[in-house]
Amino acid sequence: MSENIFIIVPAFNEAEVIEETLAGLLQRGFQVVVIDDASSDNTGSILKSMPVHYLRHRINLGQGAALQTGIRYALKKGATIFVTFDADGQHDAADIQPMIDLLVNKQQDIIFGSRFAAARQSGVPILRKGVLHLARYLNFLLTGILLTDAHNGLRVFNRHTAEVINIVENGMAHATELLITTRKYNLRYDEMPVTIRYTPYSKKKGQKISHSFKVLQDILLYKIFK
Amino acid sequence: MISIIQILLAAGILVIGLYSYRRLRSSYVDAFLIFLFMATGFAFVFFPGLSNRVAHFLGVGRGADMIFYISILFFAFLIMKLYARTRRLEQIITGLVRDETLRKANDNSII
Repeated sequence: MSENIFIIVPAFNEAEVIEETLAGLLQRGFQVVVIDDASSDNTGSILKSMPVHYLRHRINLGQGAALQTGIRYALKKGATIFVTFDADGQHDAADIQPMIDLLVNKQQDIIFGSRFAAARQSGVPILRKGVLHLARYLNFLLTGILLTDAHNGLRVFNRHTAEVINIVENGMAHATELLITTRKYNLRYDEMPVTIRYTPYSKKKGQKISHSFKVLQDILLYKIFK
Repeated sequence: MISIIQILLAAGILVIGLYSYRRLRSSYVDAFLIFLFMATGFAFVFFPGLSNRVAHFLGVGRGADMIFYISILFFAFLIMKLYARTRRLEQIITGLVRDETLRKANDNSII
């Protein structure tokens, strides 16, 4: 296949796990773009010795901004398939290929990973589950798109989608912004079950429940001020 | 009789007015608006009956209440304006940082 696959990994202070996360991607032969969002630990020096595209923000801008930078870079490099992938090790690199197959074979524009799409997922902490379900209905109200998982960092999309995406929500509200983009440009979308590993590390690094109010605030302000 | 609160308020209006004038000296329109603001402020401070009459005309019981309501609206508007400006600045900074990042990108993908 002649697809030029780029994995976009935003990273902020992930020195502990970044090497392991990227190893799974590199051994599958993907091009890996890491956007170091001004990490203050040694994430940067680890990345410089790895066979990846290394980009660094001079100041910390947030995950949404890092994704947008990565997408712009991959576009310039001639990517045809774009994958967003969290750096903290919560995703499984083995989930990527089936998502790409779905995207290409069903001629979709974007595939969202979902930890709830299949019954096979277990181990999602109960409170987190509640908040995520609340979030998906809220997203539905705001965007008209009801996914089974509102905020999953694993997504696969084609070049057309990459060209129309313009994330202006630098923080975590970009997940909702992507749904708005999907709706606005009538992108063909689907979901695919993916595994989320809730390690002590990913739970610590991941979104705090209390943070969801901040995301909600960002989303509402985005609606008003965009 | 001039009370202490009148002196405090008048001093505040004077300081804010002069400070704004120093910052925005460039245009006569601004200077006129600042003058108008100060004049209105002084009028309400030294002739409290005036604000009561305006309030009654608008259907508010007391002049102080009227000023309170208008202030709430005014500050809410100000916060919105400031927020919009912060967002605009944030987007400008993001654009600058992003351009620099893309210029300096290291392609080590083949070592």
